[in-house]
Amino acid sequence: MVDLTAAQLMLHQMVREFSEKEIRPNDMAIDQQRFFVNGIYQKLIDNGFLGLMLPEQYGGAGFDAIATAQTIYDLAVGNASVAVTLEGHYKTLDQLLKYGQPSLLERYLPSANQRIFAFSMTEPSGGSDHSTLGSTAVRQGENWVLNGNKIMITNGGLAEVYCVLVKTAPEEFSVFLIDQNMPGFKFGKRENFLGLTGTPIAEIFMENIVVPADHLLGKVGQGHEIGDSAHADARILMGAVAAGIIEHELEIAVAYAYQRKSGQFRLTELQAIQRKLADIALAKETTTLLYQEAAALKQQRRPYAEVAAMAKTHGSRQAVRAGDDALQILAGYGYSLDYPVEHLIRDARALEIAEGTVEKMRGEITKLEVATRI
Amino acid sequence: MTKIPEVWIFAEQQLGQIEPTVFQLLTRAREIAPRFKVVAVLFETPTQHLAATLAEYGPDKILVVQDPRLAQVADAEQATLLAHLVQRDQPNSFLFGATALGRSLAPRLQAKLQTGLTADCLALHFEDELLVQTKPSYGDNIMCEIVCPDKRPQMATVRPNTFAAQKVEPDRSRPELEVVTDLPWPEVAHFQIIAEKKVATPQTGLSQAKRIIALGRGAADAASKTVARSWAQKIDAQIGVTRPLTDGGGFSVKDQIGQSGQTVAPELLFCLGISGAVQFLSGITNAKVIVAVNPDPQAAIFSVADYGFVGEANGFLTALQQVDQRKQAALK
Amino acid sequence: MKIVVCIKQVPESNQVKLDPVTHNLVRQGVAGKINPFDRHAIQAALAIKAQVGGEVIVISMGPADNEYCLREGLAMGADRAILLSARAFAGSDTLATGYTLSQAIRKLGAVELVFFGRQAVDADTGQVGPIVAEFLGWPQLTLASSLTLKDRRLEGMRRLGDLEQTVALTLPAVVTASNDLNQPGYLQPRMIKASFQQEITVWQETDLAADPLRLGVSGSPTVVRKVMAPQRKQQETVFLATDPQQAALDLHAALHAKNLI
Ligand SMILES: Cc1cc2nc3c(=O)[nH]c(=O)nc-3n(C[C@H](O)[C@H](O)[C@H](O)COP(=O)(O)OP(=O)(O)OC[C@H]3O[C@@H](n4cnc5c(N)ncnc54)[C@H](O)[C@@H]3O)c2cc1C
Ligand SMILES: Cc1cc2nc3c(=O)[nH]c(=O)nc-3n(C[C@H](O)[C@H](O)[C@H](O)COP(=O)(O)OP(=O)(O)OC[C@H]3O[C@@H](n4cnc5c(N)ncnc54)[C@H](O)[C@@H]3O)c2cc1C
Repeated sequence: MVDLTAAQLMLHQMVREFSEKEIRPNDMAIDQQRFFVNGIYQKLIDNGFLGLMLPEQYGGAGFDAIATAQTIYDLAVGNASVAVTLEGHYKTLDQLLKYGQPSLLERYLPSANQRIFAFSMTEPSGGSDHSTLGSTAVRQGENWVLNGNKIMITNGGLAEVYCVLVKTAPEEFSVFLIDQNMPGFKFGKRENFLGLTGTPIAEIFMENIVVPADHLLGKVGQGHEIGDSAHADARILMGAVAAGIIEHELEIAVAYAYQRKSGQFRLTELQAIQRKLADIALAKETTTLLYQEAAALKQQRRPYAEVAAMAKTHGSRQAVRAGDDALQILAGYGYSLDYPVEHLIRDARALEIAEGTVEKMRGEITKLEVATRI
Repeated sequence: MTKIPEVWIFAEQQLGQIEPTVFQLLTRAREIAPRFKVVAVLFETPTQHLAATLAEYGPDKILVVQDPRLAQVADAEQATLLAHLVQRDQPNSFLFGATALGRSLAPRLQAKLQTGLTADCLALHFEDELLVQTKPSYGDNIMCEIVCPDKRPQMATVRPNTFAAQKVEPDRSRPELEVVTDLPWPEVAHFQIIAEKKVATPQTGLSQAKRIIALGRGAADAASKTVARSWAQKIDAQIGVTRPLTDGGGFSVKDQIGQSGQTVAPELLFCLGISGAVQFLSGITNAKVIVAVNPDPQAAIFSVADYGFVGEANGFLTALQQVDQRKQAALK
Repeated sequence: MKIVVCIKQVPESNQVKLDPVTHNLVRQGVAGKINPFDRHAIQAALAIKAQVGGEVIVISMGPADNEYCLREGLAMGADRAILLSARAFAGSDTLATGYTLSQAIRKLGAVELVFFGRQAVDADTGQVGPIVAEFLGWPQLTLASSLTLKDRRLEGMRRLGDLEQTVALTLPAVVTASNDLNQPGYLQPRMIKASFQQEITVWQETDLAADPLRLGVSGSPTVVRKVMAPQRKQQETVFLATDPQQAALDLHAALHAKNLI
């Protein structure tokens, strides 16, 4: 386990309290009403969550990778949708900080304390494979002109700034920053997803959007690298979301099993139930270790993409499985829409798809193992 | 002759009404210090005459400070007056109710006297002349035994409703009465009371309620609801329900107690016609005193109840209201 | 206006248990945090400062790691922080704590308002505020549920049971804050970061012109003799008579004796 510094600890205590008081009491309502009820979104802005990992020079708090992942975990224990909304924002800011040109950052990043930024790769033709992308950017003097259609964007509609992966030549991929205020920017429909229903996930259209040259992230042709980097940063946080969901599942399952009696036994005294409870606890611990390890590697500027992929691969499956165990322990109440367990499973299920499917991640992990050994 | 040790009790009053904790402390002091002199210390205006009420609980002496200025008095002034009395009589110990006033006044007095004060005690006993005080800490998770070996008086504030008050036989209550009118009044207090008014406890929702009457499926009929409502009004309680009652009939989810509803922590909880499913019980683990009424003697609710009545809620509550009316009438 | 807020560092959780062998307190989660009630005190001080200007100084007495709660105070917006830390302060009960704090307030000079939380969540006494008021010879408003400052007159309300008092005090004065006084917000991440850049002043007994006999253990009349786990009485249900009249009579008497009705 990582040791938090005093400043990280203070942040953690604040976020946990925020999560317990502002988010958890709204967990069921967020799921059922499919938005951030009771002004939660505004509270995230007012309490400085958007700028949490943004450097001080842009008006942020400048917290590091470890504190950021801990924050996502603490929020996810309250409600996973809230955590995923910030996950999408943070991973986008990470790419801007890594690849953005200074003039662009100066214009845009101060506003990231108030506005959500999103990262968009997926298109109707496919998410795992980008070779079929239809979106394009064409050079026009000093500017670029963007066209295309992007779907399934975390925070689509809520976010005001988007980084989009497009083709700048038939086999050349690049990332540009666009703003919802630009002429030619249009919102499409919101996805009707099974879980994470609080987070809006939607499509956008680009119709001859003209952007200045400094809206290009990195260099022309660096698109895949930036996309991979975004995935790596996102997967640490998705591991933290998974751990948070499992903690929520564990909390419900233990409380219920302790109080519920069968004959003169508490459910916690039955071996069949103990097996499930112990597995849920184990799942939480392993997932936590993985995402914290990935965050620590990132903090130490060592390679972290593989462990990040592991955190999400392992954590997402464990969160679904632990939810299934918790449902079984609560039995009829677990299966009821009036109790939270079923939506935790639906939320967890998204983590096996978003930010790269588990199949794709296993491919990447294998590739890295082969590359380092052979 | 050595002086008989004295246990003093501050007879806190509000607008002419003695705070109930005072009666509890008088009763308790007589139990734990039968050989000591139990003294009630009363501050009142010359028109209030509250000593008689105190006498019913059997103090050996009532020490009354009468002054019209006591109608408008600062904590600091009361502490100064009490310090004069303590310095004159040198009591062994001095107890206050751990009320808002007791907890404001006692520490000021303690600082003046440079003695020890134990807060919010739940148990008291004497070892010879040493007062052994048990107080909770860490939100009642730990109990500490605290003593003040070298300084006198030994001071403590005591949590309200920890001890039961018991009146003494009328012929046993002939306390000595001393009225003090010539204490030097403290200098300027820089403090002024602008207004005072009695307020009812605000209705802040179930989770904050001090008294709750909870209705379950077995008390869902109109007659039961009506008696429950009138009893609730009488004892200033709020009504809560179990999940089946939230579907219409005047109750909604916000009235629901339990896992998917509200968690409550009342001092007194009536559970009427409630079987005691875990989902409900998980919401009432912090209730202090639970009264359960259910026709089924096997109902799980009885396993958590302090008082149980096996029978119908309607008949029982009606009887309880009648008893209450008779008692109220007898008081007048 | 120079405003002081006294704050205490308390264990992060009240879930303390007793070691069955050593009978020592086992504190889960060694981390500490600011006594939650003290946040209301700081918030109240900041509100007065916003109105009349001046500075808010947070003071805490305790071991070196109490620096943490002072940084929380700074993160809320206090201007500076003083840690009272010395061997000689160890083992203070409320009387010695109150004395030490009042000496520090005297040393600061020209302080006009001192705020306290209603009580510390660990030892739970709520005595330190009134003790400091007495040592300074200042008027007090305990458990303030509202507060306004006009000229040098502080007007506020407090609840004494069913009684609501509106009172006025002349400065300098001591106020202990109730939870109803305000709603402190969450710490801003940016302010948390900034609080770790600030210097914290440390004062020892030699800085305070204090009487050594009134400090720490020697200045503490109370002795904690024993620490015990509370006895959770096994739930025993008293079944009332089967006759509703008799049952009602018995229950009424029982509840009345407990002052519940
Ligand atoms: C909650 C949520 C949030 C999302 N947020 C974003 C976002 O912010 N930005 C964004 O760009 N996209 C986002 N997406 C889209 C997501 O990235 C894609 O759904 C994902 O990449 C898979 O793409 P696809 O749905 O087109 O499936 P496909 O790529 O068509 O895959 C179909 C199946 O084939 C498997 N498969 C495909 N290729 C391979 C391969 N090479 N090796 C092994 N198996 C393979 C997949 O694992 C999957 O099982 C989000 C999705 C969800 C559910
Ligand atoms: C289990 C236990 C039980 C105790 N019981 C007693 C007892 O009954 N009587 C007794 O005299 N002592 C008692 N003590 C000692 C007491 O805890 C210390 O004296 C402590 O320093 C102050 O008292 P408190 O925690 O009750 O604070 P409180 O009086 O409850 O605190 C009120 C306010 O005073 C301020 N404050 C309190 N402590 C400090 C500080 N160190 N620095 C700055 N500001 C502060 C804060 O604003 C706080 O909100 C006990 C200690 C323990 C561990």
